[in-house]
Amino acid sequence: MRRPALALLLLFAAGPALAADVALTGGRIVTVSGAVIPKGTVVISGGKIAAVGADVAVPPGATSVDVTGQTVYPGMIDGLTTLGLTEIGSVAGSVDVSEVGDVNPHIQAWVAVHPHSELIPVARANGITAALAAPGGGLISGQSALIRLAGSTPEALKVKTPLAMHMNYPSGRAPFDITRLFDEPELKTFEERQRERKKNQEKDLNRLRNLLEEAKAYGAALDAAKSGAPLPRPDLPMEALAPVARGAVPVIMRADNEDDIRGAVKFAEERKLKLIIAGGLEAWRCADLLKQKGVPVLVNVDRLPRKESDAYDAAYANPAALQKAGVAFAIVSDDASQSRNLPYEAAMARAFGLPADAALRAITLSPAEIFGVADRMGSLEPGKDANLFVASGDIMDHRSQVTHVFIDGVEQSLETRHTRLYKQFKDRN
Amino acid sequence: MTTRVRTGLALALLAVPAARAQETPPKAFAIMGGTLLTMGPQGTIEKGTILVRDGKIAAVGKQVDVPSGLPVINATGLYVTPGLIDAHSHTAIEGGVNECTDVVTAEVRIADVIDNRDIDIYRQLAGGVTALNVLHGSCNAIGGQNAVIKLRWGKAPEELIFKEAPRGIKFALGENPKRSNFNVPGQRRYPGTRMGVEVVIRQAFEEARAYKREWQEYEKKLKAAGPKGEKPVPPRRDLRLETIRDILDGKIYVHAHCYRSDEILMLLRLADEFGFKVRTLQHVLEGYKVADEIAKHGAGASTFSDWWAYKIEAYDAIPYNAAIMASKGVLVSLNSDSSELARRLYWEAAKVVKYGGVSETEALKMVTLNPARQLGIDRWVGSLEAGKDADIAIFSAHPFDPETHVEMTLVEGQAYFDRSKDLAARGQGEKKAASGGQR
Repeated sequence: MRRPALALLLLFAAGPALAADVALTGGRIVTVSGAVIPKGTVVISGGKIAAVGADVAVPPGATSVDVTGQTVYPGMIDGLTTLGLTEIGSVAGSVDVSEVGDVNPHIQAWVAVHPHSELIPVARANGITAALAAPGGGLISGQSALIRLAGSTPEALKVKTPLAMHMNYPSGRAPFDITRLFDEPELKTFEERQRERKKNQEKDLNRLRNLLEEAKAYGAALDAAKSGAPLPRPDLPMEALAPVARGAVPVIMRADNEDDIRGAVKFAEERKLKLIIAGGLEAWRCADLLKQKGVPVLVNVDRLPRKESDAYDAAYANPAALQKAGVAFAIVSDDASQSRNLPYEAAMARAFGLPADAALRAITLSPAEIFGVADRMGSLEPGKDANLFVASGDIMDHRSQVTHVFIDGVEQSLETRHTRLYKQFKDRN
Repeated sequence: MTTRVRTGLALALLAVPAARAQETPPKAFAIMGGTLLTMGPQGTIEKGTILVRDGKIAAVGKQVDVPSGLPVINATGLYVTPGLIDAHSHTAIEGGVNECTDVVTAEVRIADVIDNRDIDIYRQLAGGVTALNVLHGSCNAIGGQNAVIKLRWGKAPEELIFKEAPRGIKFALGENPKRSNFNVPGQRRYPGTRMGVEVVIRQAFEEARAYKREWQEYEKKLKAAGPKGEKPVPPRRDLRLETIRDILDGKIYVHAHCYRSDEILMLLRLADEFGFKVRTLQHVLEGYKVADEIAKHGAGASTFSDWWAYKIEAYDAIPYNAAIMASKGVLVSLNSDSSELARRLYWEAAKVVKYGGVSETEALKMVTLNPARQLGIDRWVGSLEAGKDADIAIFSAHPFDPETHVEMTLVEGQAYFDRSKDLAARGQGEKKAASGGQR
């Protein structure tokens, strides 16, 4: 009578269950960092990748999972999303992407990520294991966080925060005012509008310059306070911007037009910011500049070309052009509900000139490198986090099924809102 | 038997966008050596031949007699499919897709505002698309009439219209006609609820029925009056009610934008009550919940492969929607409702292989033969069969392959998109501009 109870007590007293060792055997292993292993084993232990190879033995006590005929991949990293920050786009109560006001450097995405968003399991079920949850809007949107797609609390989800300070290169256009929708249009020439735009852009850039200058001064004041000087008055926005102004925290700046991308690069150089471009629709037009200045690009592929005269596949062929020029880039969904389609964005880049291995790298190791987490994710190498998935075929082939997903060595359920509704209704009476 | 076989695909057919001088295509030519995904009774034909004559498919098969001297497109190693058809498009519309100013606007016609210079026509040709169901927007419970067009890039607007296509009209249920997505301050328009949406449609059909009776009465009196009798006064003509009367008479296909299962059932019930058929439910993202009812009514379904969560009515959307509805006997097509997505409909079709285990052929039919059947144009398009129009897409690999792209797209035998010519022409515009020359 007493013994079983004691045994149960010990079981519950053991603390959080450690992931048991797992060995995925017999599969084709795409490490991304090295050559493809046609048939081998990946061993997961203590939440990390313990071993990868053709002749790796299955450790005693490990659970063996036979993945013969399938392919093992590093977990995909979606380098630009609003996962966890948006649930239903048209329902304002469920959207936490853009705060009120133009300047919000102190906004932190990680505190508002909804760990129980239905969108997270959907992305995870197709092999996405980490994503950048990024705020948007305004001139300075706030701080993004790299999150893992598993966990019950924002603390459990966050991998790295702040990952970057998000900004939008000023468009120079007046913000859309719906109350003026039916007003008579102002009669201005194209040249006048362009001049106005450039003036507004410069105004906003000056604003940014002043903010960064002020932030630098605030940072210096905080440093001085460490050695005895009085603390400056509390200023959360300035405190958040200070490391950015110093180049310690990168800036992810959204810019699509060639002019804006060039402007962003120039601005970053002038202010000694560590710049990453988001969007980059016309990055191919200034690829050499981006290469020269070492600016990486987070590029979304499924977009229409900007100009009528652009090649019809300008956006599709963008990554290939960047790769040829030696620009660092990651392919991103720039979405939330469609993050699961990340491998198909990479496929489109592949169909228009990007070599297959480069396409896979753009959704695994490259974002890890751009975000400074390549020491722990992005490829199947011993010592890295056991973030990986198994697919029935080439993950960039729409027909492939994902059969296993591991995050930090823990196998994830592939159940989603969609699989539940499917089961409920496929044979409804 | 075959001469002038070229290794590339370039043929003396017009293909460069907005080309001024349009070469006339050869009256007859053949496409040889490719894998033909016919979507017809012949199924898949390896190393097949399509003989095109006067814009029609004259013959399709493994062994086809090709007269000597005919130009040949060498499709060895390539995949040939029927031109793709997008059953939900707002491409090529000039000046606005929605006549939002009233909740029933059956009288307006998209055919009146076709924009033949929309560059997205060319971009969709580059994605293998050859025909579109261009719809009025979803602002109104009963919207305007659609226009089915062929992507005859470069031709005048009236020449894009698919003349044989039956007439169609757009209905919209749910959030959009309720205008809950439009936060225009100070504006309130009926209906504000799904209850109101039903009433609007019911009322319109009641009035149309009364209008029909009026005209039938008038016709009777006119006949009774004879050539010498006193002519009765005709009822006042109402273009709006006339159109809805045509729906009652089965002369216009209803394409109904809808999401939730209850509103789907509402419309089917209402249609049964008034004695007309809903031709297609559009979006129909909760169609999987009421697939049996949809099949019983006989409506087709045109849906997204996997869009969801952008509106509350799309929160229960699942990528298995198409597969479930198809398994219950519903005729299903996949559409884009987006100029951006329309360029890759072939990969949207691939997704239903993954979600729901639809066969590759049935999946590809969802963007070729099925939309053709839904639009009543399958006599002319939707499959590679003798007698149909030579609307053909040629892919570099299987349409579902991760490296595939479209090499050439033909409408009635004319190559309106030819990737090799497109590539060759690149940079020429900029070169000419730099040298001060004209196009």
